[in-house]
Amino acid sequence: MRVGLLPREGGGTYRFVILFLATIGILISSLPVIVVTIMSFSASEYSSFPPTEFSLRWYVEVLQLFTSEDPSSAQSVVDSTFTSLLVAFLVMVISTLVCIPLAYALARSNRNLREGMELLFTLPLVFPLVMLGIAFLLIAESLQFDLGIWRIAIPHIALVLPFVLRNCLSAMNGISVEIEEAAISLGASPLRAIWDVVIPLMKAGILAGLIFALIISFNEFTVTFFMYTIDLSTLPIWMYSRTVSSLDPATLALSVFIIVVDVFLVVLVDKLIAGRGNLF
Amino acid sequence: MVTNTHLNIEAVSKSFGPVTALTQIDLKIERGSFVCLLGPSGCGKTTLLRIIAGFEKPTKGRLLLDGADISDIPPHKRGFGMVFQSLALFPHMSVAQNIAYGLKLRKASAKEQRERVEELLTVIELPDIADRAVSALSGGQRQRVAIARALAIKPKLFLLDEPLSALDAKLRDNMQIELRRLQQKFGVTTVLVTHDQTEAMMLADELVVLDHGKVQQAATPTSVYRQPANSLVADFIGAANLVRTRVGENGRLVLFGNTVEMAVDHDPGTAVNVAVRAENISLRSAQADQEAAGRVVFARDLGAFKEWLVSFEDQEIRVRGSASDEIEFQVGDLVTLTVDPARISVFAAS
Ligand SMILES: Nc1ncnc2c1ncn2[C@@H]1O[C@H](COP(=O)(O)OP(=O)(O)OP(=O)(O)O)[C@@H](O)[C@H]1O
Ligand SMILES: [Mg+2]
Repeated sequence: MRVGLLPREGGGTYRFVILFLATIGILISSLPVIVVTIMSFSASEYSSFPPTEFSLRWYVEVLQLFTSEDPSSAQSVVDSTFTSLLVAFLVMVISTLVCIPLAYALARSNRNLREGMELLFTLPLVFPLVMLGIAFLLIAESLQFDLGIWRIAIPHIALVLPFVLRNCLSAMNGISVEIEEAAISLGASPLRAIWDVVIPLMKAGILAGLIFALIISFNEFTVTFFMYTIDLSTLPIWMYSRTVSSLDPATLALSVFIIVVDVFLVVLVDKLIAGRGNLF
Repeated sequence: MVTNTHLNIEAVSKSFGPVTALTQIDLKIERGSFVCLLGPSGCGKTTLLRIIAGFEKPTKGRLLLDGADISDIPPHKRGFGMVFQSLALFPHMSVAQNIAYGLKLRKASAKEQRERVEELLTVIELPDIADRAVSALSGGQRQRVAIARALAIKPKLFLLDEPLSALDAKLRDNMQIELRRLQQKFGVTTVLVTHDQTEAMMLADELVVLDHGKVQQAATPTSVYRQPANSLVADFIGAANLVRTRVGENGRLVLFGNTVEMAVDHDPGTAVNVAVRAENISLRSAQADQEAAGRVVFARDLGAFKEWLVSFEDQEIRVRGSASDEIEFQVGDLVTLTVDPARISVFAAS
């Protein structure tokens, strides 16, 4: 006999409650996406919901924004997109390079140290983002030299580290010391054993961490809002600046594109974490 | 005289902080022999094996391989094959890749690797599984692959830590025979850790009984079984009874109420422990008024043999009789116990 999680008698009420909650949850989380997607197909200049006529004109406008020079704004959408991608790439690579050895060391160290360090790296998650932005701004302004792109990349690294570390740590969990020792007993130096055995087995966790870092950095707004300059801003900042005075439906079309890419990446992460997917 | 000592463990001690795992281990392991380290859980078997493999450094003492000190050689340069309790096969590699891993590290050519893998798969009688994923193997097959992987590098020493403990009884029995056959075929000096004394008796040329971090006895299985060196060994090996008794006034042993015709080198009147195996005790029916009788408190017929628990004075004695024995004893029967003096060992009571 199958034992259900929910009692069968009176299951009607339970099931109703669960369905109701699920519907509310899905609505709340997907409503913005639905609204933005519908609006991006609107034919009208005025952003009122629901739109009365539909067209692809905003998508055409986005294409034009990307292809034609726009001398009016200091930072064009092309520059912002490039900065965003470069920052996201740097954040992704650096946070992973930091977290793989860190996760290895923590997983092989004693429990207390491991839990303490995990807590330490989780702190950026609990700080209010505005405060974090102010803090990074103060630090950056007090420096005597120009940080360049690192002005935005460093705060992003702080923000993504907990996610990347967690993924790497849980990937390390299943890798026993014995399997490393087996490689060593067969003649591999300790470093070689890590390269041949530990890293391949961590692969899914590493990839999940990489994609998390990419998405979080690419979409980050609050902290970046404090850090951006006239010469250096990201796509979310550009989109905000386009909509702050009046809503520009072209940004909605752009958002839809970003959402599609993000969803694809999230599904990929989900597959990787469940251990089913395999990128290479 | 040319000694044939392959590995010489000299006065090795190991402590983990306040915990002493091994004290003063001295062992000589003969070339080509099969040595079993046997002892109860926590006695330091794994620690000793890991010291031999180089994964732990001894706190004191040293290891000599063919007379050369190897204490400072790191584990990956020792060239010892090891089979771990968890087997530790590489799950992201195929069976062939697992077996060839050590050869790849030794920069063997692709052809050499392929031939050696083929040879080993034939030896372990699984010629068709080279391209299978490790996860697609049964427990027994994994076991064989782990053994083949360790043997592929032609190890100087073959080390195994309870490799069969995860298998069910029948498979374990088959693998023991297999293991012994492989070891003899390759003639490799082997050290196997186990807490299963049947397994140790079956496999070993030399049995090393460890307890409390010390070598209690190192001898052939038969002599460990027949002449246990002390009551710890006697207690651990086989289904032995340890009977508390004393030496009589005439210097003879008193056992189960009778004087045993056997000289003992303990003073008259001292308390001693006597180790006597269940199968070396025989029972006879006793009269109700007979002194020195015990009472059967448990009886069972296991097919191959019969077993009784006899309450004698305040001790319970396990007695085993062959299935062909005519006499049946029931719970509650009064019995006398007799033993063959040649089959008992006497130790001073601790
Ligand atoms: N890394 C370690 N740190 C601290 N103590 C340890 C360590 N490894 C082993 N010990 C201790 O050393 C003693 C011997 O351990 P060992 O693992 O050698 O026992 P064992 O005979 O293999 O036992 P089992 O049959 O349960 O595997 C134990 O008391 C154990 O707690
Ligand atoms: Mg052990």
